[in-house]
Parts: sequence; C-alpha cells; structure tokens
Amino acid sequence: MVGSRFGVVFALSAALAALLYVQAGIAAAEEPNQSKRVVNPFEGRADLVDEGRSLFNQYCSHCHGPNAQQGERPRDLRRLKLRYGDDAPEVFYTTINNGRLELGMPVWKGVLSEDVMWRIFTFLETQQATP
Amino acid sequence: MFRTRGKWISRILGLSLAVAASSTLAQSGDEWVTYGGDYANTRYSTLTQINSKNASKLRVAWIRSLGSLESQESTPLVIGDTMYVTTSSGPKYVFALNAKDGSIKWKYEPELPRDYMATVCCGLDNRGVAYANGRVFVTRLDAKMVALDAATGKELWSVTVRDYKKGHAITSPPLIVKDLVVTGVAGGEYGIRGSVQAYKQSTGEMVWQTYTIPGPGEPGFDSWKGDSWKTGGGSTWYVGSYDPKLNQVYWSTSNAGPWGGHTRGNDSSDLGPYTNLHTSSQIAFDGDTGKILWTYQMTPADVWDYDGVNEGVLADLSIGGQKVPALMRADRNGFFYILNRENGKLVSAEPFVHVNWAKGIDKTTGRPIEDPSKRPQLNKWARNVCPNLFGGKNWEPMSYSMQTGLVYIPSFNLCMDIAGKNEEYEAGKFYLASEFDLDQADAGGYLAELMAWDPVKQQRVWGIKEDLPILGGAMSTAGGVMFYGNTRGILKAVDAKTGDVLWKFSVGTGILQSPITYMIDGKQYLAVVAGRSKGPPSFLGKMGQRVIDASPEGGILTVFELGN
Repeated sequence: MVGSRFGVVFALSAALAALLYVQAGIAAAEEPNQSKRVVNPFEGRADLVDEGRSLFNQYCSHCHGPNAQQGERPRDLRRLKLRYGDDAPEVFYTTINNGRLELGMPVWKGVLSEDVMWRIFTFLETQQATP
Repeated sequence: MFRTRGKWISRILGLSLAVAASSTLAQSGDEWVTYGGDYANTRYSTLTQINSKNASKLRVAWIRSLGSLESQESTPLVIGDTMYVTTSSGPKYVFALNAKDGSIKWKYEPELPRDYMATVCCGLDNRGVAYANGRVFVTRLDAKMVALDAATGKELWSVTVRDYKKGHAITSPPLIVKDLVVTGVAGGEYGIRGSVQAYKQSTGEMVWQTYTIPGPGEPGFDSWKGDSWKTGGGSTWYVGSYDPKLNQVYWSTSNAGPWGGHTRGNDSSDLGPYTNLHTSSQIAFDGDTGKILWTYQMTPADVWDYDGVNEGVLADLSIGGQKVPALMRADRNGFFYILNRENGKLVSAEPFVHVNWAKGIDKTTGRPIEDPSKRPQLNKWARNVCPNLFGGKNWEPMSYSMQTGLVYIPSFNLCMDIAGKNEEYEAGKFYLASEFDLDQADAGGYLAELMAWDPVKQQRVWGIKEDLPILGGAMSTAGGVMFYGNTRGILKAVDAKTGDVLWKFSVGTGILQSPITYMIDGKQYLAVVAGRSKGPPSFLGKMGQRVIDASPEGGILTVFELGN
C-alpha cells in the first residue's frame, strides 16, 4: 500500500518535472544571448599547446594533476567537454575568473591573464576524454 | 606507569600524569593521551596483551562511519573510556565515543565559512585533537582553535589564530605545554610567514607568538633577499614535541615560499648569505615565553619543497658509550638526523632513502653538500631529483620502539623533475613559482617502503615494500608488534624485530594515519581511521590515479580486539 502511494506521488512528480522542463526549454529558446557564447580565441592553435601544458602544470597541476592526469573525477579537467559540451569554454572561463570557493577552486582573476587562461584551455582541449 | 584505571583519576590527574610520564620520555599506557602517544612523539605503547604471539587473532570489535568523504588523518585520543576522534573537512565533526563500543557520547559540528576550502593547499584534513584538564582543543581549517568541554562537547572559547583568507589553515592538533595549548599553522604554499603561538588553556588568551622567519633586526633576517622574508613560508603545519625537563618545545618548519627560489636568494648552489632562515628547520622554543633557544636548518635555501615539518621524536640514545638526549627526524630531504635536543648540535645524519640532490651532510657545518645539477633554477629544470617533494618521508608518523631500539619509517621511493618559474604573489592565492613532474618511480620496482631503521648505527634493518605510494604511519608496542596500514586499506601487524607480517586485514579504504592502541577494563583495543586521500595524489599524475582507484571515498573508524 505504502509502495503504491509512493508510486502515485512519483508519477505526479515526474509529470510536473517534465512540464517544468518543457517550459524551461521554451524560455531558453527565447534567450537572446546565444550569439554571445564564450569561445577560445586560440582554438586549434597547436603551436600553443606545449606552452599551455607548462602553464597548466605551474598553476593548476597541484589540484588537477600534472598534464591533467587526475583520478578524482570532479577535478578531472579532461572531462570538461563531456560534462559541459559546447559550454565548456564558458564554464572554464567563468570558473577561473570567479572561482568556486565552496568547492575549493580559488579566484584566479588578477593572477592569471586572459591570455594565460586561454593558453591553458588550448592545452586542455587536446586532452579531452571521450565517453 | 601512567595506567589510570578510573575515570576520576584521569580527569583530575590527566595532564599532570601525561607530563610526568613524558618527563622520562614516556610511553602511552592504557590511554592514548596525545597525538604522538606521548610528548616525545614515539607512538610506542607499553601495552602487551596484543602481542606478536596472538596478533593473528585480532578481529573487529566495532566500526563507526566518520561521515565525511575526504582523507581521514585523525589520531584518536582515548581518555578514560572516551575516544575523541575528528573527521576531515574542517573538521566536519569531532566525536566523543564510548571507546568500548563506539556509541556516540556527543558530537561537535563546527560552523566554518564555506570558502575556507580555497585556501587549503593539500586536502581537507584534520589530524585530531589535544586534551588536558577536562578540555578538548580543536584546530580548524579556517585557522581557528576552539576549546570544548570534554564531558559535553560545549564550546568554551574560540580564537582566530591567523587569517584563513590569506592562506592560513590549521591541520594538526595543538600541543599541551603545562597550562598552555600551543599550535602551529599551515600556509607554506600561500606565501605566509610561519608562526607558533601559545594560548592559556583556561581562557584562550594568547601568551606568546613567535614567527619562524625573523623580522628586521632579528638574527637571521639577513638570510633573506629583499622583501622575500614577508612571504617566505616556514609554516608549522605539523605537530610539536615537548621535553618538560628542559621545558623546550620542538617544532619543525616547512619549505621556504614560494617553492621557486630565485626571489629569495642567488638562484644557485652558491647560496651566499641567503639560506632563508628558519625554513626547513628544527626550532626549539622556550615553553613559557616562545623564545627561540636553538635552530638547525636541514635544507638551506630550499627549492625542492623539502618541507621540513616532519615530527621530532625524542629519545635518550646510547651512542658511542654516551647517553645522548636525542631528537630524531626522518626529513623530507632524505636524511635521518639525530640532533642533541639540549642544544641543537648535529650528532649524525645519513640518507635513509636514495638521495642524489646532496652527497651527504657536512658534519662540521651541518649543511648538505649539494649536487648543483640537482638544484632547479628560474626556467632551468633539474631532472631526476631524488627524493621527490613527497620526501624520503612525509608527515605520516614514524614510531620509535623502546623495546627494539628501532624507528619504523613510512618512506617513499620517488623522484622528480622540477624548475623555477616567475610568479607574482597575491594574498590568499597559491604561490609556488615552480613547475614539476612527480610521476617518477625510483629504481627497485616499488613506490614506498615501511622500513625499520637503527638510529644509533644509522642503517636500515629491514623493510616491507609497497606498490603504491603514500603509506599510513607506524605504531609499535611492548608486545613486540609494529602496526601500519597502506593505501589499499590493508592494516598489518608486523613482528617488530624481524619484519615478518603476522596479520592483515582490509578496512575498506586507504589508511593514512597510524593506528593507536588502548586498554579499558583489562582489554586491549587497536583503532585506525581510513579514507581516500584526495589532495596529495593530485600531484602525482598517473601514479596518483592508481592511489585514488585503490581507496574508495568514505570515512571509517575500525576498532579491533583479540578473538579467542
């Protein structure tokens, strides 16, 4: 009995969630900011990868692992694309600049220039995991 | 000695007994009263009920979840029949448990600011509490220290030791010195200026504070180039030792900051005056005033992160027919030092692991004889430097057995490439000025070894090799057993003389801290905490991934007893 009541509640919750999801989708489609997507200005620049790797190892490797090799999943930046898809550059840029203090990520704005940040990202793009 | 049977005795006499015991470089008895087992940090227990003949009969008595997911590095204390154990992440909890069955008497759950994690370098760890006179002293990652009523867990006072927003944190328990409680501070990777400070146990009022890096006009100030002393590190993130007879407090200091050394000196093995005192050093403080009585620098002008915080273990050794009041230290830099703790004079220093950055220690100057090709410089790599910055030994504690006369050292077999880099200091930001590759095993096909070391002869006696780095610490007993655990969570009882493994048990995830032992109502127990280390493996690349994979997330306290 208890189980079936939970079943009803679950079904209603799922329906409500689906409705909200549809509405959220409509709202997102109406957002005018799609053209302002953050992009890596050095995208595809193979000549910057080694320098990016070195900068990554200097500034990031103590938490994210040398050469981005990291066993602790939430810190594994080889999974940025898997996790965030096309938003990966924006999430990367926002997280470095603003930090995620409650997760241990400091604010690097003012320490790392945008130039350095994107060189690091250019290296990370060569390290992305596949599913 | 120091075998209190009744709770009332321990409550009334707890501190005085502990100090009396340590005045003869005491062992722990039925209780485990301080982090290192005693104020000499020996981690040697006089208990014999569990011994080399029956250790194979150990079985689980009780288990408790610690409720936090990061690395568990706490050494529980046992006072009377109560166990005080902390968890990682803040600490997230301090538990007072019935040490016989693990039931919870009280828990303390401190409110920490949520952003403290961004200024903690290497894992959200907490290594336990200190106890004296009915009070439990808790240090925190937001660089505060609080006193709790040991009977209820109620907060009695709280002090801000240093500012966490500038990169300070406290990861290790404080030290009891008469009516004071003394604490160090972490932050050597954030350009802090290290200090040790003492507070009244009763009120939290600060009595003394001494910086490890001299300021203008103080002896040693000239060992820093320009303003580099202001961000010179020399943190004090591990534990102190205490000799009550000499009234000397011993604290070890971390690496110089930043790791890259070109801003602090000549950027060369020709150091000139720029040794960066008192980083990577051993310091003796007067217990009452905090005045520096002597110092000894293990790694002058450190550029390898040979973070010299490893514990000083006090013992009176017979060397060459003479009794030496010794302070023993298995340093990160790979040398095992014996100093005369009365005056800081070098007695001996020999490599206990493979060392190639220095050819030895000059016995007259006490300084390492460097190989200049192994000193990294600005934008210049030093390759295959051994040991790597995890050191010959890291913080995981060693144990000195008064029965065998041996020291049991959790050691590493790792090397590195490292180079200095330019970097600007900003308060509260990681400040390394260094690039490194630590994912390098040294020769021999193993990554760590629990070794027995004869401190008098300065030589290895036996060792147990491990296939993954990062070992738990060691604890030895008068029952002829040495206990330690590894990254895979295997707890081992080992014959302290021969190194034969007597018993093994998997506690479910990685062991970083040494076990403890205690006795209640005539029954001896063995306790150990376990959890995944997240910070240090992050430095290690592929090797670190293997460490993570071998130790699932979770926090577990497992307590053992003898079966029939």
